[in-house]
Amino acid sequence: MKKICGILCIILSFFIIYFLQVNFFSWFNIANIRPNLFILLIMIIGLFSGKWLGPILGFVFGLILDILCNKIVGISGILFMILAILIDIICKNFSKENKLTFILILIGSTVFFETISYIYNSIIFSMDVEIVAFVKILIIEIVFNSLLTIILYPIIYKLGDKLESIFKQTKMNFQNYEVF
Amino acid sequence: MQNKKTRVIGSIVTIIILIMLVIVSNIKIEKWHMAGNTINSIVLPVQNVLTYLKNKIAGNEAFFVNAQLVKSENEKLKKENEELSSKLMDMEMLKAENNLLKQQMNLVEQYEEYKSIPGYVIQKDISNYGRTIVINRGVADGVKSGMVVVSEQGLVGYVISTSEKSAKVQTIIDTATAVSSVITSTRDSIVVRGMLDSEANLKGTHIPTTANLLEGDTIETSGIGGIYPKGIKIGRIVQIINTNNIIDRYAVIETAVDFTKLENVLIIDALQK
Repeated sequence: MKKICGILCIILSFFIIYFLQVNFFSWFNIANIRPNLFILLIMIIGLFSGKWLGPILGFVFGLILDILCNKIVGISGILFMILAILIDIICKNFSKENKLTFILILIGSTVFFETISYIYNSIIFSMDVEIVAFVKILIIEIVFNSLLTIILYPIIYKLGDKLESIFKQTKMNFQNYEVF
Repeated sequence: MQNKKTRVIGSIVTIIILIMLVIVSNIKIEKWHMAGNTINSIVLPVQNVLTYLKNKIAGNEAFFVNAQLVKSENEKLKKENEELSSKLMDMEMLKAENNLLKQQMNLVEQYEEYKSIPGYVIQKDISNYGRTIVINRGVADGVKSGMVVVSEQGLVGYVISTSEKSAKVQTIIDTATAVSSVITSTRDSIVVRGMLDSEANLKGTHIPTTANLLEGDTIETSGIGGIYPKGIKIGRIVQIINTNNIIDRYAVIETAVDFTKLENVLIIDALQK
C-alpha cells in the first residue's frame, strides 16, 4: 500500500513539474532558457527508490514527454532509463547526503541527457550542429538547475528519505528474510 | 544551530540571486521607464514647487481663486471619469474580440483556395533545443500529418503528428526544419533553417553564387519539396554574412511571424486545393 502511494506521489510530481515547465518557466526563465526539472526528478527516483523503479519510471516519463512534446518518440524514455541506472550505480560509490555531490551528479546528468539528445536529433534530422549556441544554452540550463536544486535541497532530501524508507526498507527486510 | 542559520541565509541569498537573474535577463530596454518613473518621483515635487514659485512671482494666481468651485467641478469630473473608464473597458474587450474574429476571417480569406481549419496555439515547447507547438485542432477536426500551418503574417510550420483533439506542429524556427524558399524579387532559391539560439531569426543557406542579395529582400516558400505551397511569406533578410568562401555565405532572416506572440493559426491542406 505504501509503495503504491509512493509511486502515485512520484507520478503526481511528474505532472506538477510538467505544468511548471509549460507555464511557469515560460516566463520565469534566464535569457529565454528554462531549467529541466525532469532530470532532477529522475535523479531523485534513481537515487532513492531502488534499482528497478528508477529505470521503469524514467522510461515511462520519458515516453510521455516524447509523446506530448518531442518530434520523435523514444529517445527521452531511453535516456531517462539509462540515467536512472547510471545514478543508481554512481550512488553506491558516492555519498548522496552531501549537497555538493548531489549537485555534481545533477550537472553530470544534465550534460549527459542534453548532449546525447542533441546529437541524436542532429543525426536524425540532418541538423547543422551549432556547438557554441548549444554550449551557451547548456551552461545556463546547468546554472538554473543547480540554483533550483540548492533552493529545493531540504525538500528533496526529505522526499528522498521518505522514498528510501518506502522502497528500500522492504528490500532490506526481504534480504534479511532470505538470510534467515 | 549556527550551521542551520548559515544554510537558511544561503538559501535566501540563492533565491534572491535567481530572481534577480530572471528579472535582469528579461528586462527590455523599453522597460526602463520604471527607472524613469523613480527618477521622476524625486524630481517632480521639486519641479512643482519651483513652478508654483515662478507662477506666484509672475502674478499668476488666478488658478487658486475659485477653489470651492474647482473642488465641486473636480468631484463631478471624477464621477464622469469613472463612468467613462468602465465604458472604455467594455469597448476594449469588444475590440479585442472583434480583432480575434477579424484575424481568423482574414486568414481564411487569405488562403481561401485551400481547404482550411482555424485553430490556436495551446502549448509551446518545454525544451530549450526544440521549437514545436501544439494546436487545439486534431483528427476530429480533419487535421492530418503533413498539413501546413500559417498565420496572418506568414508561414508557421507543418503538422508532424496528430491526436484526437490536438496536433503537434514543427515550426520553421525549429533547427530540424529546412524550407525550400525563394527571394521574392530575384527568384533565387535558398534553403531556410532554424537557429538554435534565436526564436526570431532564421538562417538562409545554399545561396547561389550568382545571387544578388540585399538587406530587406523578402523570402517566400518556393513550393519545392512537397510540403509547403508556393508563395507563403517567410520573412525578410536583415543581415548578409559574407565568408571567405562565397559558397558558405548565409543570410540572417527575420521571421514574418512573431513566434513569441503567436496565437491564431490556420491549418491548410496544401494537397487539396
